Amino acid sequence: MKFNDLFGGLVFLALAGLVAFASWNLPNPSQQPLGPSAFPLILSGLLALCAAILAVNGARATESGPLIGLADWARSGGAILRLLLVPAAIIFYMVFAETLGFLICATLILVVLFLSGGTKPVHAVGLSLAAALIIHSIFYLGLGVQLPWGPLEPLRW
Amino acid sequence: MLDAYVTALGMVLDPYVLFVITLSAIYGLVVGCIPGLSATMATALLVPLTFFMPPVPAIAAIVTTSTMAIFSGDIPGCLLRIPGTPASAAYVDDSYQMTLKGKPELALGIGLWFSVLGGLFGTAVMMVAAPAIADFALGFGSVEFFWIVMVGLGGAVFIGSSTPLKACISLLIGLLIAMIGMNNPAGQPRFTFESTEMLGGVSLIPMMVGMFACSEVMRHMVSGGGAPPVVIQKIGPIFANMWRLTKQYPWQLIRGSALGTVIGIQPGSGADMAAWMSYAMSKRFSKEPEKFGTGHPEGLIEAGASNNSSLAGAWIPALVFGIPGDSITAIAIGVLMMKNMAPGPTIFVNNPENVYALFLVFVIANLMMLPLGWAIIKVATRVLTVPRKILMPIILLFAIVGSYAINNSLFDVGIMLAFGVLAFVLEENDFPVAPVILGVVLGPLLEEYFINSMIKSDGRLIGLVDRPIAAVLAAITIGIIGWTILASMRGRQARIENTAA
Repeated sequence: MKFNDLFGGLVFLALAGLVAFASWNLPNPSQQPLGPSAFPLILSGLLALCAAILAVNGARATESGPLIGLADWARSGGAILRLLLVPAAIIFYMVFAETLGFLICATLILVVLFLSGGTKPVHAVGLSLAAALIIHSIFYLGLGVQLPWGPLEPLRW
Repeated sequence: MLDAYVTALGMVLDPYVLFVITLSAIYGLVVGCIPGLSATMATALLVPLTFFMPPVPAIAAIVTTSTMAIFSGDIPGCLLRIPGTPASAAYVDDSYQMTLKGKPELALGIGLWFSVLGGLFGTAVMMVAAPAIADFALGFGSVEFFWIVMVGLGGAVFIGSSTPLKACISLLIGLLIAMIGMNNPAGQPRFTFESTEMLGGVSLIPMMVGMFACSEVMRHMVSGGGAPPVVIQKIGPIFANMWRLTKQYPWQLIRGSALGTVIGIQPGSGADMAAWMSYAMSKRFSKEPEKFGTGHPEGLIEAGASNNSSLAGAWIPALVFGIPGDSITAIAIGVLMMKNMAPGPTIFVNNPENVYALFLVFVIANLMMLPLGWAIIKVATRVLTVPRKILMPIILLFAIVGSYAINNSLFDVGIMLAFGVLAFVLEENDFPVAPVILGVVLGPLLEEYFINSMIKSDGRLIGLVDRPIAAVLAAITIGIIGWTILASMRGRQARIENTAA
């Protein structure tokens, strides 16, 4: 996703405003001359200044340009889908790690990602199983991290 | 001091530590060798593992991996004309030309031999300079430290960057992220959105893994593409001509090492800038500048020594002041803090053996680079053909588990995702990512120094500059910022005149 600098500047300007608003009334229990709100306020002021300059520069550079342009890769639907697979895989893991367990989740994620890259299905499944087992061993056996087992609980080693 | 060195040597020669160093070395060499996997990513992926180690092996793993990865980035540059890490980009033309002339062993040998010499030079400077500077800095108060952090951040944003305004915004975002949680002088929860997970602030490890590994995977997903085929299959004896070249170009070696160390010390510019500047300097002082870019060894020697010496140089401000020189040292500082070895001048008084152990790891890593580097060059033609479409999904899985492992928390996996997306969007729009991580690491320190200084001076701003060292540092900071603003305005003026003419 490629944003015009005007758009980026406005987003950061809004962010600076939100931060300033959120930090304005932070309590100052110890009654110091500069309480917990002072530093965030200074930072948000500086951010607002930089964002404003960015927005003005952006507006000057492209009077008529679109606010949100597309990078070259974004014109291909396949690339967008492959990109979305990354957050989808992570969210899938967050939702299903406890119920399915690490080994099943990891294998599923890897199979899908390998297939999306054009790996042959047989190779994809084999590689996924191997990689999931190796990473599981590194963290579970090597470092003692309790990865969830899910339905494979009876097989726990 | 000698006693501390003996203790440190004992710590480093522990079999477990040597085992960690060897594994990290191989890992760093392989990752650096594969185009598209950067040294920073290699280091970030390693951090969750170091969480489970004692301090010395943890730091040893980080130091060894980054040193090895910077050298082995030369390999794909030489064989494929694709620099493995940005630090190898400066001289990729020369080394690739050597390959085309059928002499890849010469280019790779220079990369290896002079990286080791440059690295040892930088390490020697670090071993002498860091304790001396720390000794001097023991008398510093919060005001001096405030300005040192400011110089560091100013250098990072305004010197090393082609887009200072965007770098500045990146830095401010990082500083604001550091404000999240209760880790502030007043101990007041800020920007936590009523979430208990956020009270301790954003966890650093998932954030770094997200920014440097997850975002790389996303970038690979949209760019795709495999590496081009390797032309050269046979690589001759690597060390054959090195002694002759060392005697032929001693000044280039020393100049490159020295400049690299200085650039490393200067916060905000790391190995890649060291290589570019040394290559340019080599060309300017050369008797045969017309040969540069055609497979001439001179620039390779100077820049190859330079980028490795800068790594050690970057550790000087990192250890003495806690100011990271680049994103790798920012990651390393995060690891030090995690291990209760918060950098600062007192670390040289309280934990000298740990610091000396770190110095010794640098020496060992550089010496180990000779045999291991030789081995990776011999198998490089096969490592280069490992397809990235296989590696990237595995890296993503590793990033997920690594973020999860440190707290057994799925919330941290979410943090990893959020920062991966943030880094991806920022880079797509030409915002540099390194300042974000600098801001996150330095934010709490900067606020603490600032608030403490203001409390000492009863809230009067003059308190920030009424001590001589603080005043000098303030002047440097203002000088860096002012010079950059002037330069960018002059640049715009020139562009306007150009378009008018």
